[in-house]
Amino acid sequence: MSRLVQKSPSLCTDLPLNNSDVCNKLRLLKELLKSCYGPTGRLKQVHNNIGGHVVTTSTSSVLLPALSSSQPLVNLIRSCILNHVSRFSDCGLFAAILCLTLIEEAKLSGLRRNVSIKVNKHLLGMCSSYLQEEDCGCRVVLDFCSSMNLITLTRSVIYSKPACVLAEVEALHMSKLAVQAFLLTVPCNSPGTVRLGRIVTVGVEGHPVLNSAVLTGLLVEVHDHLSLRMIKSMQTNPLRVVLFSASLAGDLSDLGDGIIEAHTGVDTDSQILDQLLEFCKHVVEDEVKLFVCQKVLHPVLQQYLRNHGVIVIDRVGVALMEPLTLLTGAQPVATLHTTIPAKAYGTVRSLSVKEFGSKTMLHLQPAAESAVCTMVVCHRNETMLSELKAVCQQAEHVLRLTLKEPSALLGGGCTETHLAAFIRNKSLNEVSQTLTAVECSQSEYLLGVEGFCRSLESVAAALQHDGGNSLTDLTHAHHWTLPADVTTENMEESLTFCGCGLTRNSPNMKWTHLNTKYPQFSPAPALRDSTVQPHVLDSFTAKLNALQVAVETANLVLDVRYVIQDTN
Amino acid sequence: MLGSTIINHQQHVGLQKLSALAGLAHSFLGPNKKYKFIQDDTSGESVMVCSCFRILENLELTCSVGQLIYETVRAHQKVHHTGSGCLLFLAGVWSRVALEFLHRGIPVASIILAMSEGMDICMDVCRKSSVSIDNLDMEHSQSSTALSGLQLSKEPIKDTSQAPHQSKGTINVGHKSLKASAQRKIKLSRHFCEPKSENMSTEFQNPQPKLLDIAHIAECLSHGCVEAMNLVVECSRIQSKSSQQDSTCSKFNVSKVMTCVLPGLPEEEACTVQGCILLLSADQASVAHHLKDQLLKVVLIDGDLSGTYRHLGFKRLSGIQFMSEDTDLSSSSKEENWMEKVITTLMNLEVNLILISGLVGEKVIQRCSSHHILAVEKVKVSVLNAFADSTGAVPVTYVTQLSKSCVGAGVKLVIWRDLSSYKRKSSLAVNISTGRNIELVTVVVTSCIEGKLQALEDQFWTCAYRVHHALKDRALLPGAGVMEMLCAHHLQNQAERDPPQQTKAAAANPYRSVVLHHMAEGLIDYISTVMVNTGKFSKLQARTAVNQQLQDCNKNLGGAAFFSPLFSEAEKKDRLISSPVRSTNPPAVKVYDNLSVKQEAWRKALDLVFLVLQSDAEVITGIDQTEAVQKNLMLL
Repeated sequence: MSRLVQKSPSLCTDLPLNNSDVCNKLRLLKELLKSCYGPTGRLKQVHNNIGGHVVTTSTSSVLLPALSSSQPLVNLIRSCILNHVSRFSDCGLFAAILCLTLIEEAKLSGLRRNVSIKVNKHLLGMCSSYLQEEDCGCRVVLDFCSSMNLITLTRSVIYSKPACVLAEVEALHMSKLAVQAFLLTVPCNSPGTVRLGRIVTVGVEGHPVLNSAVLTGLLVEVHDHLSLRMIKSMQTNPLRVVLFSASLAGDLSDLGDGIIEAHTGVDTDSQILDQLLEFCKHVVEDEVKLFVCQKVLHPVLQQYLRNHGVIVIDRVGVALMEPLTLLTGAQPVATLHTTIPAKAYGTVRSLSVKEFGSKTMLHLQPAAESAVCTMVVCHRNETMLSELKAVCQQAEHVLRLTLKEPSALLGGGCTETHLAAFIRNKSLNEVSQTLTAVECSQSEYLLGVEGFCRSLESVAAALQHDGGNSLTDLTHAHHWTLPADVTTENMEESLTFCGCGLTRNSPNMKWTHLNTKYPQFSPAPALRDSTVQPHVLDSFTAKLNALQVAVETANLVLDVRYVIQDTN
Repeated sequence: MLGSTIINHQQHVGLQKLSALAGLAHSFLGPNKKYKFIQDDTSGESVMVCSCFRILENLELTCSVGQLIYETVRAHQKVHHTGSGCLLFLAGVWSRVALEFLHRGIPVASIILAMSEGMDICMDVCRKSSVSIDNLDMEHSQSSTALSGLQLSKEPIKDTSQAPHQSKGTINVGHKSLKASAQRKIKLSRHFCEPKSENMSTEFQNPQPKLLDIAHIAECLSHGCVEAMNLVVECSRIQSKSSQQDSTCSKFNVSKVMTCVLPGLPEEEACTVQGCILLLSADQASVAHHLKDQLLKVVLIDGDLSGTYRHLGFKRLSGIQFMSEDTDLSSSSKEENWMEKVITTLMNLEVNLILISGLVGEKVIQRCSSHHILAVEKVKVSVLNAFADSTGAVPVTYVTQLSKSCVGAGVKLVIWRDLSSYKRKSSLAVNISTGRNIELVTVVVTSCIEGKLQALEDQFWTCAYRVHHALKDRALLPGAGVMEMLCAHHLQNQAERDPPQQTKAAAANPYRSVVLHHMAEGLIDYISTVMVNTGKFSKLQARTAVNQQLQDCNKNLGGAAFFSPLFSEAEKKDRLISSPVRSTNPPAVKVYDNLSVKQEAWRKALDLVFLVLQSDAEVITGIDQTEAVQKNLMLL
């Protein structure tokens, strides 16, 4: 019986940014993300309402998917940032905070929306071109002859996630490992187009972080102890490998919606199994010694293969398939309808058993040079381990980005304050030229500039969570933090280094609190003294893109006139 | 779908919750544990629990901090089987400490930095104070001068940098502090001067230098669970005997130990038996009688024994239609067909015994029984593996896989106990073993009170794993509160000094001293709670005693050794009751703790505090509007 339900009309919100409910939600989102930002950021406990698993995190890639809202604008921002994170891994929080602050500043300034949008766009262009300039004051060119800057860059990524609860030594250890693993994925002597290898991350819970390690080759978890016993008696000659991506469970899982008609007497299961056995016979005849299956392998087949001296690993999962093909040179067999061509087989040089904590794993060494390596990440508990794993993968991505653009930006908020000072100065100097391009009055333009710069500075200030003050110096416009309990009198003593560690306290340096008015000046690039290296570096590519995403998303949100929701 | 958050500002709700929940642990600390009842108001059911892990398991906490605590404790329990109470208690006190710091306005980063340093200090003290189990053994059986000469090389990791009073082996239960220094002289001189040869027990007269005496180690680790620990020692004795053919007690393989719970029998009947004790139903009992005292052939099935069972990961066909001309082939006859095949296979292979890790239907058991085949279900996989190792049988998933090479031989079945008079489901307990060198040992846990069985079983495993970890670490820590005292002492001392290496961060942390002091307070709180739990002290007395001792120690550094505050002079006479009695004139039994377990528990406790301390908001997914309003949540 069908029932007619009257459709409720769609809900239309006029000028959503003037709606207090929308604004409250945006502010809530901003506070939420701001409090996660940086190495001393606060964690969020994400869980469902019925006692499910608790995820403790401050990483945008974990947090943002959980933050779905009834408000389309919030979801719009969320998906823009998530898109950025999926492409660049880093600077997600930066983009989100900047975007939300820009929206708020634009509202506060009282400018017409289209003016704000135009000014923001103009300033974004100014930032991008400055960051790519040769003499940009906040960019560091990475030197691949030394691993130092790479380690610094990695360390900044790893250290920025407090849920990993790493001591300084541990953070350094992990950074070194991440760089080492990254370098292992760069093939040494392959001519033609260079293809980067893969890092496979294996987590081991309950072990100290310093036990983490990087190994060449692959570690594959083995579940049954029969295979392990066989490996111990194995000789170490190169072994022929076959790789199956098709299921060998003995079922017909890829049947789809079709229907098979069969006689009642027919035992489909055993017929399928017979076919699979035929298949395995060929494999044995082809002298395969290692049989790897992505999915389930029927116990009868396992027994058959073992009896013929073949080591069986099943249920390796889809994530390991690509690294396995890279390592062994085998082509995964996806169909059972043809015989396996000889070129589909691969080889491994040797097999050995490695134990990490409670995990027993098979170590596969490549026969030829291969850019596949395994990073074993250990941590004391599950929460910290999953955050650390995520961060290591993030670091890997950041390091890869450096190959395209061998630069990094000063971290610790220094890039933001420096950019703000630069823009303030430049836009004041060039105000007359730009007015025609932006089509607004001078006061409007300056108001827009001020909002943009304040937004940048407030991202830098968001690094501080314990009530400390954010300062900027009036020479290089770097970012300095002053602990909450330090009075202004002995301020100078407690300021030793700026946020990125490139500039140090010097006698005639002057500071001003962020978000107070200061006389415009052209920020000087920090002196390039080769003995002083920055302590904190951010990914250039990721940050530049994050900046663009933030401004463009903010402009998009500012441009929204109506929100129409279908409430059915 | 809505995300929703609460933001806690000055009042850190998470830390408050953590310290409140940790209150659960108080009465479970120390050897004198008290049972707790958990009652379900809606169903009227109740359970009796006696450990932190079980209480958390039964409470079904839904708040995020509760979940986090449960996950942490569960992870710890899974690996270590002991120390959860300590973990939860310390998480509680340290979260209170952290809360206090927040009120004082100390930044979170400084708290974490200093507390991590405090933890490093504690870990270091633990490492340096650990006693090698080889030495422990020697101390016990100081039998010849030659042996004490050998000792030197086996000394525990020596403490070189810190005050010497933390030297191992200075815990002397039952000695007054005045006597402590004299006692210490004897201990140190042990390696150089003549050994004391009085009151040594005769049963350990001829120790092989390399062989450990697990009985002695176990005694030090029993922590009041004497009966359970005796079972562990018995297990070890059986396992040592089966592998070395002598009567020492030097091996313990916890993975080859299983428990069997028998309600209805008095607790004194708990015992250890070599082999595998299985409970059989009346149907199976008759077969067992038939098979007893013969050499049997065994097959091992990893999965269910049923016609419809398919291995893990097998997807059943949904889109298949069967057409048939004759309609009498119903599902029951299909089952019958399968049954027929199974029985034929088993008969052909002359199998007498099937051990199955999964389930077996009543009918199948009956059919097997009628052919004098004993089928036993729900056997642990570890037991299957043990039988695979000792009989040569190969575990399979389907009966169709069976061939001659999969069948194991040489299994013996002995009727262990007839339970038919107890009117329960199981009517017979049989012992299945492979006469020769099987290490498998079953511990039978009994109690007249059914609700207590779980606790007794847990207690056994706790003891078993304590011994297991002691053997794995090859080292122990001074127990009965001594280790906590040492750490508290060191924390207090370090708090007075400047940070050891002038690292930039440490030097810049002005709160280091106060944080370390408070961490020490947490440990003192732990000791005094254990003391209170003995029922012989009030909270105040306990704290005074502990603080007094810490002060004494500070005054004459290097002179006094720590002794356990748990056994002060007044308790001397009571002690004999609680300590395991081995001979008529028992030597003072020292109490030791597990090194790795304690370190892990402390670390995990602090990690838990760090995670909660750094959290400022809860994000709850999948909540609806009305609920949010009720709970006063902010909606996104």
